[in-house]
Amino acid sequence: MRLAIHHDTTYRYAERVRASIQYLRLTPQNSARQRVLDWQLDLPESARAQRDGHGNILHVLTLDEPHQAIVIGAHGQVEIDESCESESDPVSPLPYLRCTGLTTADAALREFAAQVCGARRDRAALIELMAALHRRMPFSPGVTEVETTAAEAFALGLGVCQDHTHVFLACARSLGIPARYVSGYLCTAGSPQLASHAWAEVWIDGAWYSFDVTNQLTRPERHIKLAVGLDYLDACPVRGMRRGGQEQMHAQVQSAPLLQNQLPSQEQ
Amino acid sequence: MLSRTAADLYWMSRYLERAENMARMLDVSHSLSLMPQGGRGDGLEELAMPLLITGTLDAYLERHRELDAERILHFFALDADNPASLYSCLRAARTNAHAVRGRITADIWENINATWLEMRHIAEQAPANFSASNFCEWVKERSHLFRGATEGTIMRGNAYRFIRLGTFIERADNTLRLLDTRNQLMGDAPPCESTARDYYQWSALLRALSAYEAHAALYRGSPKVSQVAELLLLRAEVPRSLRTCIATLSQILAEIPGTNGRPAQRMAAELEARLRFTGVEEVLEEGLQAWIHDYILLVRQLANAIHSAYLEAV
Amino acid sequence: MVRSTYDEMYDAQGGCRAHYQAFARWLAATPSELVEQRRREADLLFHRAGITFTLYGDKQGTERLIPFDTIPRSIPASEWQQVERGCIQRVRALNMFLADLYHDQRIVKAGIIPAEQVLANEGYQLAMQGLDLPHDLYAHIAGVDLVRDGDGTYYVLEDNLRTPSGVSYMLENRKMMMRLFPELFAGQRIAPINHYPSLLLDTLKSASLVDNPSVVVLTPGRYNSAYFEHAFLAREMGVELVEGADLFVRDDRVYMRTTAGPQPVDVIYRRIDDAFLDPLAFNPDSMLGVPGLLSAYRSGKVILANAIGTGVADDKSVYPYVPEMIRFYLDEEPILANVPTWQCRKPAELSHVLANLEHLVVKETQGSGGYGMLVGPAASKAEIEAFRARLKANPAAYIAQPTLSLSTCPTFVESGIAPRHIDLRPFVLSGQQVRLVPGGLTRVALREGSLVVNSSQGGGTKDTWVVEDSTVASESREV
Repeated sequence: MRLAIHHDTTYRYAERVRASIQYLRLTPQNSARQRVLDWQLDLPESARAQRDGHGNILHVLTLDEPHQAIVIGAHGQVEIDESCESESDPVSPLPYLRCTGLTTADAALREFAAQVCGARRDRAALIELMAALHRRMPFSPGVTEVETTAAEAFALGLGVCQDHTHVFLACARSLGIPARYVSGYLCTAGSPQLASHAWAEVWIDGAWYSFDVTNQLTRPERHIKLAVGLDYLDACPVRGMRRGGQEQMHAQVQSAPLLQNQLPSQEQ
Repeated sequence: MLSRTAADLYWMSRYLERAENMARMLDVSHSLSLMPQGGRGDGLEELAMPLLITGTLDAYLERHRELDAERILHFFALDADNPASLYSCLRAARTNAHAVRGRITADIWENINATWLEMRHIAEQAPANFSASNFCEWVKERSHLFRGATEGTIMRGNAYRFIRLGTFIERADNTLRLLDTRNQLMGDAPPCESTARDYYQWSALLRALSAYEAHAALYRGSPKVSQVAELLLLRAEVPRSLRTCIATLSQILAEIPGTNGRPAQRMAAELEARLRFTGVEEVLEEGLQAWIHDYILLVRQLANAIHSAYLEAV
Repeated sequence: MVRSTYDEMYDAQGGCRAHYQAFARWLAATPSELVEQRRREADLLFHRAGITFTLYGDKQGTERLIPFDTIPRSIPASEWQQVERGCIQRVRALNMFLADLYHDQRIVKAGIIPAEQVLANEGYQLAMQGLDLPHDLYAHIAGVDLVRDGDGTYYVLEDNLRTPSGVSYMLENRKMMMRLFPELFAGQRIAPINHYPSLLLDTLKSASLVDNPSVVVLTPGRYNSAYFEHAFLAREMGVELVEGADLFVRDDRVYMRTTAGPQPVDVIYRRIDDAFLDPLAFNPDSMLGVPGLLSAYRSGKVILANAIGTGVADDKSVYPYVPEMIRFYLDEEPILANVPTWQCRKPAELSHVLANLEHLVVKETQGSGGYGMLVGPAASKAEIEAFRARLKANPAAYIAQPTLSLSTCPTFVESGIAPRHIDLRPFVLSGQQVRLVPGGLTRVALREGSLVVNSSQGGGTKDTWVVEDSTVASESREV
């Protein structure tokens, strides 16, 4: 399937920002599952691309002139191979066994994972885990924040795709299975909406398999992968700091774009 | 020099100068409040002046509800929660000095540190052994010592320049505000009583700014508004006059190497020229209050220009 | 290991060792009141100079003085040469290990270190994978903690490859001793150490490929426990002491904000942990770091000393493999011994540890500063049981070692002069060459019998002398 993406985001600030710096992970890469036909970022300033530690393409955008808004545009076309089940990787998956502040499994999470999977560590067990998790944590926007940890979201029993993914990663890692966070776009069939989305990849039998807990999918046919990481903070599409009128810097991890303009994507 | 270091030096001396001016103002208000007051006699109007000048009347009333001589004094001298108090100013100066200990001489550091330690001691001992005028006198003395240590020991480099910038920006602002409030207070006075009251009021202000002797030497006779305004705004001979402050600022700014300070340098030079070629009759014609308010704004703009040129981010 | 105690000054028969004889004669000849008066003078001078530290968790931020003991720890030059060679060998191997780990991982492929041990380690930084650093150097500044067991053998207790501290005390202690007791230095040849700041600056400059690079010291600020040292080293090297907010990144370059506009920075001697360096890449709440620093670093436009990700090599769970690293990379036998270590993540070793808790020292693999550790022989039954529970809950987080006796050195205490346990931290600088100044920081546990020398736990420091043997020989002939 070929997906066309046109995604503009405008960040507006209540007060004039004197300078800002952003790490952007908004460029998909070729893989067994996705082929990038063309891709372009529209940024207010030119930004050089580099790779981050996870192999993602990272643009560093620095704005030195005072500004009150930033417009970031991403568009292009990506071909998805819907039959592709997994992706191999020459790089060791072992670093993805580590916990982070957002993905530390507390006793409740460890117990939940152990109860569902028992001694099993195969894909079937993880699919069961995904289903059990979704039952335990129905999708409910507006309850959690970007800073909510896996343990907190699990205790609430509610959350969005970010929380689902964090909880799933914490469970998998507590079972000794490498797992990582994926951020990207989801093009929902029949809907003109294009959404930022998050899901998990888990290392089973020498390859990365996808688990979209929110949508209960193991084959991400309408998902465009932008970046991977240990958690949201590693993989999120935009992470920035700005200097306001005062000396203080304000962390602004793409939490609440005040005006988001999403144009319909087209299936071809 | 790091911008942060320059900022710490600048604020260190601003806070010390602020403390000194506050002490001068408190001293005057305190002694004037003891004078017979036209018809009312409680001296509260006088005591409330520091609250008006520093814009802390609301904060004070929230805490203490009514105006009370002792409480106002405490509020300005010793209250750790009042950011405008002498206590807070000396604490802030010490914090700034601590951050740049390596950049100031031991004489300067020890002066500021000892001042703060003594301040804490005074606050702990109060109110038993507290005398407002002794305390104000002590603050002025410590400020003189700081200036002496600075003049006498520090290398004539950027550190010296930023210390002096802080002193003179703060002093310019304070002189304007003191004159402004005193002038407004006088304006309300019934004309029949004005002569005697004028005399005490203006001479108290002159004493507060250590300009009484200068006035006597230059004008003779009892002070009048035109003379006081000329003396404190336009005379180059008076070390706390607006003109002296601006001329000194302009001179210091011209000495700082680099081109990023041009807007501030230009502004200071323009202000200096305007003051040099202004006569007091022009000031009075425009209206003293309006004129002062213009200049309070201009001094603030100059401070902002200094800030964005040297003391903060690109 | 022998469970007797080695004393630095006196041999088993109570005789004074050759390299201490000049000092012993001086001590005997000097009136004790004079020594006492000089000690008080030292306290006063340290206070006045502000040579203080703040304790973690002390909300008041009270500045404390690290107790300074005026009896030096002395090492004969011939013995020091061995220690020096051992430290150089060890730090070279550790740097080679880091370069290998962040590139080809030959040591993992050779099966010498389990992949999971290093790759899943929290100190391992993915951001460093494949990144080339000038001269393949990661730990430009290393502190190697050494102790001596009953027979006097030196053991490496741990390596400090992140932001080792204490060197300012080493330098200030020497300055103080020379000021208080100049006659001691006139009488014998004690190797000088005060060129350390210039060696450090030289090391930092050589870490960059830029000609005459601009160097800064990056501190978390004056509320940090080691702020005195950061300010001290910046002053001694004649470079700027900056905080995160003084720096910014533009087009992959790092600049500092100055009164004359932005000035480029080439080398950052950072005294901030990895997690706080760049709020856009690591801990987002950190206001200590510089947003964008990691991207500038990965573009090769700025050098960090030490590099990011050195923590994986000084992790206590990786420590047991250091002798193997020396053999693997240098094809040499280790000069300095490792303390035998049980890795609690291995079930067999865990059960040994659990059965012998009262004899062992158990440490967190990630811990430092003497926190979160159990000294079995000194612990109560309740403490041991509490620790047993923690150990069982998360065995991988702990290692255990036999309780070393640690050598002692005569020290002034309330009751007079008495032996107290000491360790030694030499500072190893890796640039074009690997160098040390003779000696290091000697820390002393002031409580009787205590083996914990950390300043946060009531430890003090001593001046450390490397005494040239020729003087020792000629002095001993006179005796």
